[in-house]
Amino acid sequence: MRGLLLVVLLLGATLAALLLGQVSMPFSMLWEGLTTGQGPGAMVIGNIRGPRVLTGLGAGAVLGLSGALFQTVLRNPLAAPDVMGFTSGAGLAIIAAIAFGFSAPMPLVAAAGGAVAALLVAGLSWRPGHATPPLTLILVGLGIGFLCSAFSTFLMTLLPHAEAVEAQRWLTGSLAARNWTHAAQVWGLGLVLVIAALAQVRVLSALELGEELAAGLGIGVERVRWTLAATGVLLAAAGVAVAGPVPFVALMSGPLGQRITGARSLAGRLLSAAGAGALVLVLADLAARGAVPGLQLPAGVTTGILGAPYLLWRLSREMERGGL
Amino acid sequence: MTRWIVVAGLLALAALASLTVGVRDMSLDAYLQALTAYDPQNPAHVTLMAIRIPRLCAGLVAGAALGVAGVLMQSVTRNPLADPGLLGVNAGAAFALLVGSTLLGRADEAALALLAFPGAAMAAAAVFALGGGLRGDVGPVRLTLAGAALNALLLSLVTAIVLIRQDSLDIFRFWVAGSLSQAVARPVAEMAAVAGLGGVLALLFAPGIEALSLGGALSRGLGTRPGRVQAGALVAVTLTTGAAVAVAGPIAFLGLMVPPLARMIAGHRLRAELVMAAMLGATVLLLADTLGRVVMAPSEVRAGIMTALLGGPVFLVIARRLRPGAGAA
Repeated sequence: MRGLLLVVLLLGATLAALLLGQVSMPFSMLWEGLTTGQGPGAMVIGNIRGPRVLTGLGAGAVLGLSGALFQTVLRNPLAAPDVMGFTSGAGLAIIAAIAFGFSAPMPLVAAAGGAVAALLVAGLSWRPGHATPPLTLILVGLGIGFLCSAFSTFLMTLLPHAEAVEAQRWLTGSLAARNWTHAAQVWGLGLVLVIAALAQVRVLSALELGEELAAGLGIGVERVRWTLAATGVLLAAAGVAVAGPVPFVALMSGPLGQRITGARSLAGRLLSAAGAGALVLVLADLAARGAVPGLQLPAGVTTGILGAPYLLWRLSREMERGGL
Repeated sequence: MTRWIVVAGLLALAALASLTVGVRDMSLDAYLQALTAYDPQNPAHVTLMAIRIPRLCAGLVAGAALGVAGVLMQSVTRNPLADPGLLGVNAGAAFALLVGSTLLGRADEAALALLAFPGAAMAAAAVFALGGGLRGDVGPVRLTLAGAALNALLLSLVTAIVLIRQDSLDIFRFWVAGSLSQAVARPVAEMAAVAGLGGVLALLFAPGIEALSLGGALSRGLGTRPGRVQAGALVAVTLTTGAAVAVAGPIAFLGLMVPPLARMIAGHRLRAELVMAAMLGATVLLLADTLGRVVMAPSEVRAGIMTALLGGPVFLVIARRLRPGAGAA
């Protein structure tokens, strides 16, 4: 049961994230705070680290699951919502909402932005009478991502200085100053979407065997693809809405989760990816806020520094295998 | 020949627009006056000499340099999506500049600008090595993704530096999108010389690069030494991109848009293409800069953002045409 290993790692990471930081506290203080609900431990957990860690776990899990879904549907380890511009689209939508004073729930705004980006990627890659190769989707997605970032930068220049600093921190992907509402939001949405994703495991595993076989089993391949893609986009948007477009969590989580648990079944791999995503984001956040004394860096800085070399390594692996 | 005259005319028009359009619209008379009888008390004359003319020069240098760099990168990698901005070479130069200015302070702008070159060189070498750019036979996805990864890595590091130093957001804005507005504080003349050197180098190596694009065996048969040509091209890319970044900051997508246009106008001769790309690059950058001054006056949209907004759709059109994975791309 190597799945247990992932659970243990997650528990350890959660504990470390609660105890360590700019100000570390001994375990006894945490224990006292948890059991009696009083003292400095309870204060730190209740107001600062508790919601932050819980939000990080939830956001990492939905991002990781989203990445694994796209990687499975498109059968390419490079296909992830952060590579294909969906998270940039969600981020752009939120910056636009801030800049134009448009008040709507953030998950809704992020989902709309991610969905528009995804539709653009799909629409622009589509050519009548041709199958769309996954690599075209990735390439067009990169372009959409570039454009969304350019627009985000453009909108940022419209904001007054203080808001621009905040928007900048946000665009990097950060878990700073999260409250219980954020945690509840991502966990509530996440649970619904995880169930939605797991409900599609059967058709997805048929799809994995090959399109013709799946069609032979009476599965409407196109419809299933769209439902899965929609689930993936919503999952990514749920994560972006509370944590910002943290780079590369979705890309790394699928392979990392499988490395840890060694899961073979599709459901197992998806759940491993979710667990690995939570692990990566919480640890990245811990490293970011502990790295420099007196200053909390946003988590996106660490995932970017970790994820970019991973992407490069992955590229050379794919190259050797002739996948590119 | 008429085509060349038309492009030269366009460049002249763009330069004229860059000089006259802006927050303070200026007539041509004022220019002639300022040039013939300069009056330091006259605000129009001061605007012209201290702001508009340096800005024009910066646009000419950076635009031409990036046009040349784009053509070089696209022909060496045989990848229509290669661009100094997208492949992270701009970011490498800007990163080195930023690290230099944080560590050393703003002591000497011209000496600091020299840092752009090792930065650009390292980034170019890294992205070509990791993205397999020099093999020429790799699909466009890998090189573009390698560039995106390099950009993301440098962006994360820059974010960390900016937040640690608690400096203003201006440094960050400089890093994300270049602009011509700081031209007067930048060593434009020195960088023009360096970019010119890069251009000459590009022209010298052009026949070798053309031979390389015929394929390994054939080009060796023609007596080309691939290693030397590629190294020469890499040096030329470094010089031109580094100079452009030192003058204007990172400007993306210019090197992507200009080469296909240059090829359309000048034909498939690399030397003609390089010269044409230099002219077109300067034209497009000056127009983007002027447009950025107009669209949201009195505030300004940075030229680097304007080129990204213009070039993003171009990227999408090219990416759509390529069918990577579905045979030769």
